[in-house]
Parts: sequence; structure tokens; C-alpha cells
Amino acid sequence: MKIEILGSGCAKCKRTKEIVEQAVAELGIVAEVVKVEDMNAALDYGVMITPAVVVDGDVKIAGKVPTLEKVKEWLTKK
Amino acid sequence: MAGEVKMTEGVKCTCEAAIVGLYACAGGSNVGQMTNKVAVELTKKGKGKIMCTVGIGGDVPGILKSTEGTDEIIAIDGCALMCAKRSLERAGFTVDKHVILSELGMKKNKELDLNENEANEIMAKVEEALKI
Repeated sequence: MKIEILGSGCAKCKRTKEIVEQAVAELGIVAEVVKVEDMNAALDYGVMITPAVVVDGDVKIAGKVPTLEKVKEWLTKK
Repeated sequence: MAGEVKMTEGVKCTCEAAIVGLYACAGGSNVGQMTNKVAVELTKKGKGKIMCTVGIGGDVPGILKSTEGTDEIIAIDGCALMCAKRSLERAGFTVDKHVILSELGMKKNKELDLNENEANEIMAKVEEALKI
């Protein structure tokens, strides 16, 4: 599983990455968490505001920091 | 008019401020094309963020999620057909502010080249109508 965190490196983006990494750790799953700061990559997904989370190419959220519970839901529904 | 907007600057971080999404109908008439001009200029002035309206109708996940992440949605339509507003509402979004250029004194026709003076006049009227 590949999880991309799209963002400029701002506070909300960093918080989003922490939450995603916590979810991955607590679920004990194998996932590659990648921080993407190239905003052209965000546009390629149609993402126009950040932070955003993309799981295996599927945009899950944009413009908001997700809750831990919500991230776990995305990762376990795969 | 403000300077050029690079595409990579088109992605806005929500840490900066409240995100005001600007959705222009960008239709095939003078008023439709003017909505796009208005959205671009408002974005350059920092009064909102131009979004991809067609992606709403196209059910594009990244664009729908980006719209969910906005704090305010403004629909900018060229005429009374209100395609931008209707597209947003059909997708389940609530439009917070709405403006129709043909109701601000711009007569709809088939011309696609925009007049700079007319654009400045419309911009002023839109800002007044939207109170932004």
C-alpha cells in the first residue's frame, strides 16, 4: 500500500503525516508513507488545496487534517 | 491587473487562511468567458482560489475532495442558466455566494474575446455584489 501526503511542508501537512504514520503503526500494516511537496503532483490528482491524503492513487481528503479514526477506516477498508 | 499565476502556485495550503473556492461557469459566450477572467483576477488578488468547475460535473475525486475542504463556495455564472451553481448543488454542495454577470449589466452574446475595460468594470461590480 502506498500513502501519499500532499502538502507544502506546513504545520497541517506535518500533522497529517504524523496521524497517517500513527494509524499505520497502530494497525500494524505494511505501507509506504510518502511526503509529496511537488504541487504539480497534487494538481495531477485534481487536488487544489492541501494537505491531502492519497491512498493507492485514491484521493481521500483535501484541505483538512484527517482524524486518526478516519485514516484507520481508509486503511482497513482496502 | 495583478501578475501571472503559475500553476504550481495554484495549489493552496489551508494553513494560510480560510479557503474561498471560486467556481466559474466558463461557458461558451462572452459572459461565460468573463466568469473565468473574474475568477482568475480574484485569485490573483488573494480574494479566493479558482477551482475546476467542470471537475464537479465530471465527478473527479480530487476536485470533489478539494471542494469539501473549502470554507466558502462562490459560484460565478455568466447567465441565468446558472450552470456553475447547479453543478455544485447537483453534487451536493451548498453555494454560499452566487453572482450572475448578465444581471450585472453585461449582455450575453457569442463574442469570445474579452474587452479589458469591460473586464475591469465587471470585476468591480462582482466584488461589490459579493462583498469581497
